[in-house]
Amino acid sequence: MRYIKLPSENFERFFKSLEAWGSVYAPVKRGGIYSFQKVHDPAEIALDYNRTMLPPKKFFFRPRDTVLRMKNGRWEENLEVEPMVLFGLHSCDIHGLKILDKVYLDEPADPYYRTRREKTVIVGISCMPDEYCFCKSLGTHFAMDGFDLFLHELPDGWLVRIGSVRGHEIAWENGELFEEVTDEDLANFKEFEEKRAKAFQKELPQEGLADMLDLAYNSPVWKKYAEICLACGNCNMVCPTCRCYEVCDRWVDAYSAVRERRYDSCFMENHGLVAGNYNFRPTRLDRFRHRYYCKSYFDPSSGYNCVGCGRCDEFCPAKIEHVKVLEEVRGSLR
Amino acid sequence: MSENPYQTYDARILEVKDLTSREKLFTLRFVDSKIEDKFDFRPGQFVIVDIRGFGEFPISICSSPTRKGYFQLCIRKVGRMTKFIHRMKEGDVVGIRGPYGNGFPMEKMEGSNLILVAGGLGMAPLRSVLWYAIDTGKYENVWLLYGTKAYEDILFRDEIIHLLKHGEAMNCSVKLAYEVESPSCIYLEQGFSDKVCKGVVTDLFRGEEFDVNNTYALICGPPVMYKFVIRELLDRKLSPGRIYMTLERRMRCGVGKCGHCVVGTSVSMKYICQDGPVFTYWDALSTRGLI
Ligand SMILES: Cc1cc2nc3c(=O)[nH]c(=O)nc-3n(C[C@H](O)[C@H](O)[C@H](O)COP(=O)(O)OP(=O)(O)OC[C@H]3O[C@@H](n4cnc5c(N)ncnc54)[C@H](O)[C@@H]3O)c2cc1C
Ligand code: SF4
Ligand code: SF4
Ligand code: FES
Repeated sequence: MRYIKLPSENFERFFKSLEAWGSVYAPVKRGGIYSFQKVHDPAEIALDYNRTMLPPKKFFFRPRDTVLRMKNGRWEENLEVEPMVLFGLHSCDIHGLKILDKVYLDEPADPYYRTRREKTVIVGISCMPDEYCFCKSLGTHFAMDGFDLFLHELPDGWLVRIGSVRGHEIAWENGELFEEVTDEDLANFKEFEEKRAKAFQKELPQEGLADMLDLAYNSPVWKKYAEICLACGNCNMVCPTCRCYEVCDRWVDAYSAVRERRYDSCFMENHGLVAGNYNFRPTRLDRFRHRYYCKSYFDPSSGYNCVGCGRCDEFCPAKIEHVKVLEEVRGSLR
Repeated sequence: MSENPYQTYDARILEVKDLTSREKLFTLRFVDSKIEDKFDFRPGQFVIVDIRGFGEFPISICSSPTRKGYFQLCIRKVGRMTKFIHRMKEGDVVGIRGPYGNGFPMEKMEGSNLILVAGGLGMAPLRSVLWYAIDTGKYENVWLLYGTKAYEDILFRDEIIHLLKHGEAMNCSVKLAYEVESPSCIYLEQGFSDKVCKGVVTDLFRGEEFDVNNTYALICGPPVMYKFVIRELLDRKLSPGRIYMTLERRMRCGVGKCGHCVVGTSVSMKYICQDGPVFTYWDALSTRGLI
């Protein structure tokens, strides 16, 4: 890793320089909700945002995406991709992208996801947890890789970690904006991280979690929550690691059609429907439980399928709390 | 050519044959000879059929890779897409991508006995194994235990009757169980009294002996069938690792992306499209929701 410092007074120039690498998207606040939007003026950015409603996955795995277009009865791929800079990703969202990478870049790679990923610069930014965050329990509160640049807040600027060759090039081309990191900066960085570590209010204990959840398959707790759940699928839409999609062909006119994919949710009844109306997750209980198992699946190479961002809690209309459900399920094993 | 895994390739329907009132057999070949030459698969794999502008659906390949120059799909008419393809004729073109899935471990099973247990449409993927085994001659004995509703529902009826008559010469013994009585069935039963009976597929196990250390069982049928067939095999002390079954789930992508076919829990999650559709009974014991 290489470290440099971006003094506060150079921030604006640095931000503007990013436009050379593509359209810049950053978190902005609109009507009480944060979201990633195209930004020209750094004054629009909400640097201290907690979380956006839709995670950055929307740039790579889009809510609605035309994958193929029919020309003369044949499919042609629809791969126009604009270079982008995603500015201000939190560590948990960077981890979320890494989990999506595992699925979408695994052979055979998804060409849409791959191309967008390759053409996008990722700039991370440090954050302070709120009452929903539990990324620290999952080890996703600090990103060691998966970004080009990562900005850590200092009292008088930013400590910048350079995570890739491209990140190095960006810093190189704007060399005059950066300074060497001083001992004082290091002390400030350390102090910030320590303060942050203490600020987490929510915790998800890990010991034996995956096995205990598996053992608690018939726990009444699943049923209790499945009855409260509205099956709206919000938690799937906002989750940075949920990536089920449905496919549909649509005729544009009498001669041309498109094949589109859209976000799908495992809470929908037809998610598991097969021929002859047979459904392998027929009840809401089956579907509710499936989501929790999917998020808590432990892959030795990439960890859990949840990064503790707290979105599913914040945006659940039934106020179901992810950590509480898992804790209760585990607690029911006595 | 693009490396897009969602792109499908033109395949021409060479022949359409009615197998029953619900199932048709489609014989296909890729229009582009380069694609045709490259297309290889193993029994138990499936393809995704693309009716451009209308949708896609997964279908097992029911012919054997030993027979080159074409491949066959046995398709039951159950809904929108399958109804669509049932209206298609010789010469029509569909899109195909694949083959997908793991297929049966044919090399690993060489030299062993194979017990194929088929129920209804489950005959389709097992027909690929059956002809592969007969064509290569690399397997000790092959039993096909086939359970069907009625005489009219027997898939590949001519082939089955041929094997009832001449199977032994090819190290292949076929047994058939039917549920609904009819003159044709009774006639079959009279002709092959030791091979055809009224009942369900598990009845066909009666009196069969096999060497559990040198036998593999391959099962495909409706979900309810698995439990009973597996119990029958376990009673005879066949190891869970020697019992293979092919499963069916809703599929969209076929390549491990769309998430529709995922089953399991926090300790073991499987993609039916990539980790399967062929699984061992041990996989089912260790992954909830597989069967
Ligand atoms: C690995 C595999 C192998 C298969 N092999 C065969 C075969 O050899 N012969 C055969 O007749 N059928 C086979 N099927 C089932 C076949 O895919 C379905 O019958 C078909 O998709 C139904 O589509 P439909 O539009 O006619 O039905 P509808 O009920 O109208 O389907 C609605 C939608 O649900 C999806 N869907 C419905 N059933 C299934 C299903 N079982 N699996 C996946 N998606 C489904 C379809 O994509 C369809 O768009 C197989 C399925 C799988 C997963
Ligand atoms: S957001 Fe809440 S209510 Fe909606 S499906 Fe998820 S858990 Fe259920
Ligand atoms: S499950 Fe909830 S907390 Fe975990 S990554 Fe998804 S939205 Fe965030
Ligand atoms: S069919 Fe899409 S993940 Fe298996």
